Amino acid sequence: MTDIDARAAMHLSDASVSVELETQGMTLNIGPQHPSTHGVLRLVAKVEGERVMSVQPVIGYMHRGYEKLTEVRTYAQITALVNRIDWVSGFANEIPWIRAVEKLMEIEVPERAQWIRLILTEMTRISSHLLFMSSYPLELGAATPLMYALREREYVMDLIEGLTGGRFHPNFNRVGGVKPAAGGGSTQKKVSQDLPAGFFQGTREAMDRIDSVMDELDELVTGNEMVRARTIGVGVIPPEKAIEFGLSGPNARASGIDFDLRRDGEPYLPYDQVDFDVITEQTGDSFARYLVRKEEIRQAVRIVRQGIDNIKPGPLQAKVPRVLKVPKGQTYVRTENPKGEMGFYLISEGGRIPYRVKIRSASFCNLSILSWILEGALVPDLVAIMGSLDFVLGDVDR
Amino acid sequence: MTDSPPDGDLVDEAADSVEADAVETELEEIGFAAELTELVGASLWVDEFDTIRIYVARENWVESLRLARDEAGLTFFGWLSAVDWSTEVAVGEQVGEPDELIERYEVVCRLSSVTSSKGAHFFTEVPKDDAIIDSIVPLFAGAEWHEREAAEMFGITFVGHPYPLKLYLPDSFQGFPLRKSYPLLSREVKPWPGTVDVESMPAADGPSTTNVEAGDTGGDE
Repeated sequence: MTDIDARAAMHLSDASVSVELETQGMTLNIGPQHPSTHGVLRLVAKVEGERVMSVQPVIGYMHRGYEKLTEVRTYAQITALVNRIDWVSGFANEIPWIRAVEKLMEIEVPERAQWIRLILTEMTRISSHLLFMSSYPLELGAATPLMYALREREYVMDLIEGLTGGRFHPNFNRVGGVKPAAGGGSTQKKVSQDLPAGFFQGTREAMDRIDSVMDELDELVTGNEMVRARTIGVGVIPPEKAIEFGLSGPNARASGIDFDLRRDGEPYLPYDQVDFDVITEQTGDSFARYLVRKEEIRQAVRIVRQGIDNIKPGPLQAKVPRVLKVPKGQTYVRTENPKGEMGFYLISEGGRIPYRVKIRSASFCNLSILSWILEGALVPDLVAIMGSLDFVLGDVDR
Repeated sequence: MTDSPPDGDLVDEAADSVEADAVETELEEIGFAAELTELVGASLWVDEFDTIRIYVARENWVESLRLARDEAGLTFFGWLSAVDWSTEVAVGEQVGEPDELIERYEVVCRLSSVTSSKGAHFFTEVPKDDAIIDSIVPLFAGAEWHEREAAEMFGITFVGHPYPLKLYLPDSFQGFPLRKSYPLLSREVKPWPGTVDVESMPAADGPSTTNVEAGDTGGDE
């Protein structure tokens, strides 16, 4: 104690500002309510001066016990539940769940329904990544990109809402297909069940807008000196660490891991019939994670356009029994969510409700690297690193 | 429900090619599952619904996962959790015949590859009265949170865990919520109206009183 006081006194008497001040360590409490935490996350950081010595994330403020709730709900009801896990990409959450049920029931989904799922998944990816494109520069101190990105995102949300009836929680998938579209009328009239008029035209226009706003954001953000200074070389994740911590999605690809479940995983939607690039970066820093998401928006736009070109008329729904009883079995289905690998391990013992559902959410694993990556970082970099991981607390806490 | 006869030929052709592909990948994966089982010295493996399950002994748990990581290329840590096989069920449906079911916990860990679509689930049985297993955090740093979650939700002790505190729940929380014997209080108070998903509509003439008894209060009366 006295030793530290003596050293502090020595430094204080020193007039030179170039001398690094030695300060007493202190505990900094960040959150649970903090704008950079995308929900409620608390960080207990031990800092010495500007240096973070250790960080212990405290999570669970939004724990809703979904794994328990799935054990008392029917299969159809759980679809509504799972799209609240990662609430900025609700539609993409439904896919692995509904595929797991279809796999156990051995249902073949009509092709048109698969294409609609693919188009909506990619639109969800655009909307999720655009939210990152707006919030990340904001966390670095740039407020303007938010206006550009959120404005265009609204066109995508409008289309999703027009089709499914919900902006964030579409609940649009049904076991064996997709729901008859909003305003589609009776399920007996096959023509009116289909997509609302003008959906494809509207989507094409929205995709053109996304393309042009990405050019604008490129000019505004990517080349911006401040953004580059704050993100390049900050929060570097080497590939072996990414694998060890189970990082997936854009966070892993920014570290040079060339793996994308859309291309390399078990097939779940007709991604093999569309042309797209898997974006990787080698540096693994915050800027690389930004670059990967930015390019993934453009790739998603490409996929949506091809989806619209490839989709053909046909039924939206396979024949399924009125009361869903899933035969005994266990399966794991994982898909490429906008945040990374999302999977459901489903155990059915027969009957109308699952025996056990394990939810593997991408943000949970992506966030678990936080203690490791923030150790030794500077306090001002804390938000820059956290923001670059692009997590959603609903996806962490489940 | 619709009963539209699908466009016969087209659908059949597509189904055939899909089936052929499926058989091919299945053969590959069965080979992989058997290989992996031999590698880790397990006795039992199951491969159904595109999901490989390998059952290893509890004392070989860490070593099996290490072999899978180092020798079989399953370097990517997917997740870790547990399953409670129980005859004492407070929520959900009772499974099987009570006297046939062996009461146990199963700890599950998924590992996969980042160069191919290969992946496997490793299972090990943990007896109910001795719910202890070695931690795999030294192998996979990412398992830390997963093991803390499994510990607080199922009451399984992970020996050698570097930070064995509760993850989601408050420190003072009593009980293990994901055990089948742990009741869901909202269900105790009121039965979930949705468990019967094909219900007769309420009678059209006059207010129905039976609805209230069935748990569907209708809200603002």
